[in-house]
Amino acid sequence: MQLVLIGMNHKTAPLEIRERLQLSSGDVERALPELIRMTEIREAICLSTCNRVEVISHVTDGEQAVAVLKSFIYGQGNLDIAEMERCLYVYRDLEAVRHLFRVTSSLDSMVMGEPQILGQMKEAYRMAVDHRTTGVLLNRLSHHAFLVAKRVRTETGIAGNAVSVSYAAVELAKKIFGNLKGKSVLLIGAGEMSELAARHLLRQGVGRIHIANRTYARAEEMAALFQGTPVAFDRFPEVLPEVDIVIASTGAPGYILNKEMVAMALRRKRDRLLFLIDIAVPRDIDPAAGEIENVYLYNIDHLQDVVDANREVRKSEAMKAEEIIAEEVTAFEKWFNTLAVVPTIVALRGKMEGIVRGEMERSARWLGGLDAEERSRIEWLAASIVNKILHDPITGLKEESSEKDELPYVAAVRRLFKL
Amino acid sequence: MMGIVLFKVALVVYLASAVVYGGSLWGRRVMPARFATGLMFAALVIHTSSFISRWLVDEMTPIIGLYDVLSFFAWVMAAAYLAMQLRTKTRVLGAFVSPVICVIMVIASVELGGGVGASAMLKGSLVTAHVMLSITGEALFAVASCAGIMYLLQDSLIRRKKEGSLIRLFPSLRDLDRINYLCLFWGFPLLTLGILAGSFWARIVWGSHWQWDSKQVWTLLAWGLYAFLLHQRLVIGWQGRKAARWSLMVFTALAVLLIVGKLFFQTVHNFM
Repeated sequence: MQLVLIGMNHKTAPLEIRERLQLSSGDVERALPELIRMTEIREAICLSTCNRVEVISHVTDGEQAVAVLKSFIYGQGNLDIAEMERCLYVYRDLEAVRHLFRVTSSLDSMVMGEPQILGQMKEAYRMAVDHRTTGVLLNRLSHHAFLVAKRVRTETGIAGNAVSVSYAAVELAKKIFGNLKGKSVLLIGAGEMSELAARHLLRQGVGRIHIANRTYARAEEMAALFQGTPVAFDRFPEVLPEVDIVIASTGAPGYILNKEMVAMALRRKRDRLLFLIDIAVPRDIDPAAGEIENVYLYNIDHLQDVVDANREVRKSEAMKAEEIIAEEVTAFEKWFNTLAVVPTIVALRGKMEGIVRGEMERSARWLGGLDAEERSRIEWLAASIVNKILHDPITGLKEESSEKDELPYVAAVRRLFKL
Repeated sequence: MMGIVLFKVALVVYLASAVVYGGSLWGRRVMPARFATGLMFAALVIHTSSFISRWLVDEMTPIIGLYDVLSFFAWVMAAAYLAMQLRTKTRVLGAFVSPVICVIMVIASVELGGGVGASAMLKGSLVTAHVMLSITGEALFAVASCAGIMYLLQDSLIRRKKEGSLIRLFPSLRDLDRINYLCLFWGFPLLTLGILAGSFWARIVWGSHWQWDSKQVWTLLAWGLYAFLLHQRLVIGWQGRKAARWSLMVFTALAVLLIVGKLFFQTVHNFM
């Protein structure tokens, strides 16, 4: 197949090496023409993200090309060769196909099932297409990889469940409020965790963010960051009736939000649903508040349970994904093998069509007496006889190629028809 | 005859969609539910054409007699559920709506041959209006109950903090509550108009709006409960679990009373 994939990822290379090697899109655009100029390389795609660098290429000579590609990669990083050697992996032919399918389907990602990698791979492919460094093999392979990624995504639950605490909270909020557009949030305590959760929520279109913090300056600071409203710490109960989601993460030793406060806020709230997220340890919200109707209270352990369960689901879904990938690698192999017979088929057809053309010319004299329609009918007849005759041999050639390594039919056809 | 064939085809497609919806619950995937929603839409189209065919080809006034009434009930449920899908993507709710539709359709198909023939007394647009409006209202209440059941399930799932995959599969509480509310909001005035049409007709036929008939009493009782529920929702601001529980209770009461009433009480309203 003469396919070589060479690269390194977060599992094989430490951050220090990855960050030196990471190519910006400008770097990739420079690298592609450089790669394709090498005689050993016929096609190339270069993928570079913060977790991986991969070069996949269709080469003329396997061993020679691996050496060339390695020195190309060493050239990018300006690093110690021995150290880099240890981080690099090289896959050939079907192994390379399988690796690429796994990468595109996010099975090889740091957070398995994360959706960015597919976009990054599409971008890498687009750049290669722009620089005309792809051909029949890599075009087909890339499109097949995108298809596999889509299949994995829709047929398995690998990407379905949140695997971080803050994202799990957002997912739950969606199951309560449906759309989060226009919902408002109160952050009690302006720590790192609540900041992360707030970011997730904002990305989902949450409307207003109120921030209460013991140090008012910090509340103001974070409010500026999210275009939110700072609230004096002891006055947060006053905004409670206006908000839909509360995220508490203060360092207070006891409960700062009790059942009565929640019940009272709920009575004044038009829209009687409230999602309380308590990510503080020790807890900020009295568990009794969760007993109130239409109030949902999750603490850090509950969220962690959700995340753990989701991780397990992802793991078992990954097994299904591997099966899909194995299937698709076989399908790709089948297609690839038919490539070997394509020149023979083209030659065979060419010869037959040449014969038809020649015979038509030889018979031009008596054909001249016919009108245009009759002539075209005869041409059609000749062409359809050729097609009928060639149908079985061509099918046979294709079938043979997808089943066996050796191709006796190809040799036979070439000899018999003197191609 | 064509109408009956189409009805049977619709029944089969409804059953298919219920099975696929079940598969969605079983496999914890939304994908089959999407397909099932498509099936239900197909069934609805076929079902609609069966009514049109009965009306145009067989020249029967539809919606008189038990078969037609039940069939129409199922039709309204399917149409209401699918209409809700335009606004809120609550696909899996179909797993609760479609079995109800199927059961009603099956009962309707049993009644296909016999049933009470349309007596001369039951002719006229007032009767048709009475039946169609009341049935539409009640079918909407049935959809509201399905959304209510699902709301209560989802509520307790989120509360118990278990079964993440089911929580993810089920629609959001907000959407379910909204469907429950919309069905109530539209169903109530329709039922009211239906009852009024019926009582005017009763005045013409029996000389009085009110006969103290068991069915009339039950219906009025249910009407009162729904009026109360709608009032609580609109004025007091009931929402979520309480509203879901009430709509479910009232509907169950209505259904049980109608069945018990039909089995054990003499009624002048003995047409279905």
